[in-house]
Amino acid sequence: MDVLNPLAFWFALLAIPIVLLYLLRLRRRAQPVSSTLLWRRAILDREANTLWQRLRRNVLLLLQLATLAFLVFALARPYVSAPGGPSRQIIVLLDASASMQAADVRPSRFEAARAQVRALIEALGMNDRMTLIAVDGTPRALSALSNDKVQLRAALDALRPTLSAANWGAAIALAAAVGAGSEESTTFIFSDGANADDLALLPGAARFVPIGESGDNLSLSTLALRRVRDGLAALVRVTNHGLRDEQALVAVRAEEALIDARTLDVPAGGAVEWTVGGIPSTARWIQAEIKEARYNLLAADDVAYAVNAANVARRALLITPGNLFLEQALAALPGLRTTRAAALPPEIEGYDLYVLDGVSATLPAGANALLIGAQGIFTPTAVFSDTAYVRTAPHPIARDLDWRTVSVRDAYRLAAPDWLRPVVEGQGGPLVLAGESPDGALRRVVALAFDLRRSDLPLQIAFPILIANSVAWLAPPQGLDIPLSVQPGEVVALPAGTRVTLPSGETVTLGTQGFAQTEQPGVYAFEAGQVRGAFAVNFFNVAESRIAPNPNLTAGQSSPAPAAEAQVAQREFWHILAALALALLVIEWWVYQRGLPTLGRRA
Amino acid sequence: MLTESLLNALRLLRLNAPRRRAGLYAGERRSPRRGRSVEFADYRNYTPGDDPRRVDWNIYARLERPYIRLFEDEEDLTVYLLLDDSPSMFWQAEEGDGLAQKWLCAAQLAAALGYVALATGDRVVVETAGGQRFGPRRGVASAALLIAFIERISVESRHRARAGQRLALNAWLKRCARDVRPGLAILISDMLDEDGATEGIGALAGKGLAVNLLHTLCPDELTPALSGDLQLVDVETNGAQDVSLDAGVLAAYDRQLSAWRAQVAAEVQRFGGRYVLVNTSQPLEAILLRDLRREGWLS
Repeated sequence: MDVLNPLAFWFALLAIPIVLLYLLRLRRRAQPVSSTLLWRRAILDREANTLWQRLRRNVLLLLQLATLAFLVFALARPYVSAPGGPSRQIIVLLDASASMQAADVRPSRFEAARAQVRALIEALGMNDRMTLIAVDGTPRALSALSNDKVQLRAALDALRPTLSAANWGAAIALAAAVGAGSEESTTFIFSDGANADDLALLPGAARFVPIGESGDNLSLSTLALRRVRDGLAALVRVTNHGLRDEQALVAVRAEEALIDARTLDVPAGGAVEWTVGGIPSTARWIQAEIKEARYNLLAADDVAYAVNAANVARRALLITPGNLFLEQALAALPGLRTTRAAALPPEIEGYDLYVLDGVSATLPAGANALLIGAQGIFTPTAVFSDTAYVRTAPHPIARDLDWRTVSVRDAYRLAAPDWLRPVVEGQGGPLVLAGESPDGALRRVVALAFDLRRSDLPLQIAFPILIANSVAWLAPPQGLDIPLSVQPGEVVALPAGTRVTLPSGETVTLGTQGFAQTEQPGVYAFEAGQVRGAFAVNFFNVAESRIAPNPNLTAGQSSPAPAAEAQVAQREFWHILAALALALLVIEWWVYQRGLPTLGRRA
Repeated sequence: MLTESLLNALRLLRLNAPRRRAGLYAGERRSPRRGRSVEFADYRNYTPGDDPRRVDWNIYARLERPYIRLFEDEEDLTVYLLLDDSPSMFWQAEEGDGLAQKWLCAAQLAAALGYVALATGDRVVVETAGGQRFGPRRGVASAALLIAFIERISVESRHRARAGQRLALNAWLKRCARDVRPGLAILISDMLDEDGATEGIGALAGKGLAVNLLHTLCPDELTPALSGDLQLVDVETNGAQDVSLDAGVLAAYDRQLSAWRAQVAAEVQRFGGRYVLVNTSQPLEAILLRDLRREGWLS
């Protein structure tokens, strides 16, 4: 306990005149009486009944001095500090990430943390202000520097835990912007500490309140579909993040039909993979689910979905004088139906992809094209033979591409527009270019500046990779460049007007902002004009599935020292003292007027 | 000191002695002794030396044995008015030039009762604590002397009271008891004495005196109107007592006053006396003609 205004203690000197006045008052007036006989008896009677009588005058003095003491103390503005209590400015980082949904603390970690934050709100002093920040994928302040407990409670109650991973970096930036690090602020972090190593970067004094007890959790960490001879096969990987060996019953369904279920033995800290065959290729999506497990505290990662992209066929028009390597490479790509023509056919509209192998052609507006060799589109200006590999620029089509073993005899120097950027460069000039047209003549273009027949590229491992990457980039599997699986909370770049059917069956028509309602895991079907497709929202997040709490995390650059922390909460109580002083004054008046209550007086 | 109307009313009254007392002279009171009045009382055997005039010859003629006729003897009554003139009797709450109401009342009571006694032929003796003595005197003619005596001691005792001389009740009453005959004693006092008056009353009673007490207390003693922090000074002993007056102390005083009065009354009654409390603020007529008549002192 300390005081804010120590100078007020000078008022205590008023006790001196009070005592002096009291001493003066004690000089009694002499009053002759006929006899003191009865008075002496009365005094004896009174004193025999109550010792207070002897002290009564002293009681008045003491009451006056106590009143003065309370008033002086109230003027000094004392405050108490409760250990761990709120400071004058409190920033609360409440972890709302997926791992907080673990049920090792009943009913859940998040609810336990919420209860603690609620207690902190209740303990707010009159001058305290609290900022409540929800930490999930997109951290945000629910209330800023508020002293309104009702508002704080409402904001806290409205908060729901998400399935996204906690973005601690953004949360720390937000907290710092609110005022963390200033002297009078303390940051409280309510979290299980999973994936929160960044907390040490938090400026200023902070206290980490660990939530959670156990790390037992099984997760479906992978669900992948691939085409096999007799349909589709699914790869299911179950990871055990806990410290105990575990058996899990995993079921795989194609849309609604149960395909297979099996009990998998998952060693502690390890993973088990299971390949499920016999899935009909007509299935639009499959679902895998951990049905039964003993030590599985987080439910969100027990289900996974995979969309069968193979049944959404893309059409490619290949115009080539004849190139077996190219035809084979295209035919091997799943979900691509290739039409081959030697010359430009009359009907060239409606293809997702045009592959021109040394042929000049006029393509429809907005077409995606893979241009190989010299064509009329980009006029070759020269031929160079200095084609030794120099570097590969980062680009989707260059993924996993190893050009070092590729030899090219000679290549054309193309008069390429600016938007066509080199991807693979030789010493003499670019060998592979790619780019997206800003105007509408073409959309995406990949250009090879050499004739395949004048290179050993078709024989290299790089060739199918380059073709697959190029096709995937030029004509994404769904016609739109949409990933097949996204994380909860991730924004999917669907065009405006797209109708999306949520897993719940609800249908949403999009504006221009893309689709952000991906909180719920499941399969989302969409329809954008002619294009139909689907994507899955999956909770594939090893960091969040690893729910083992980390109670020993250090938060803040200066973890509040116990002594400093003890001063965190400054709650003034001068008004209580003033009220007590008033009460004492009333008692003093009453004692003076009426005398102290006599004890055990006969009737 | 006494108004004409009061004297007129007193003339019709007489003091009632509690029981028969032997007097010195023949008077108007029935004496326990057999005497020579006209009222027959009893017979007894003749013994030599008896006055032959008192032999009942009719009885002798019938029984041939002499019997003496006994008659009620009528004697006078000696009334001792014991007037306490200690300083406490001169006390009054508000200092003033005149006589204290308490003393005035006591003196008037003494004068009135003395007048009644003189008027009914009793012997009157007035003794004061200060040692002044009046009488014994008989006859209504002495009433003026009695009143003059009381007026004189009012002045003298007041001077002595100013000087603060303490007069012990016990010593005074015992001194009186040395020289009394059986009769009626009326003690007019506030009885405010540390040691009480038990021994004195006992000594008087041993001489055949019934001590009747007129307990004179003024309103400032019955219900004190004091307040605040005071140092109370006893006018007789000059002893000081600090007291902080509040409701509790006043209530305690009231209780102690009642207990003390009961104690004093019990002492008086133990020796055959009677007790009447006199609130000195009451009119004298009310005390004499109402209270004392109701109590049977006067009739």
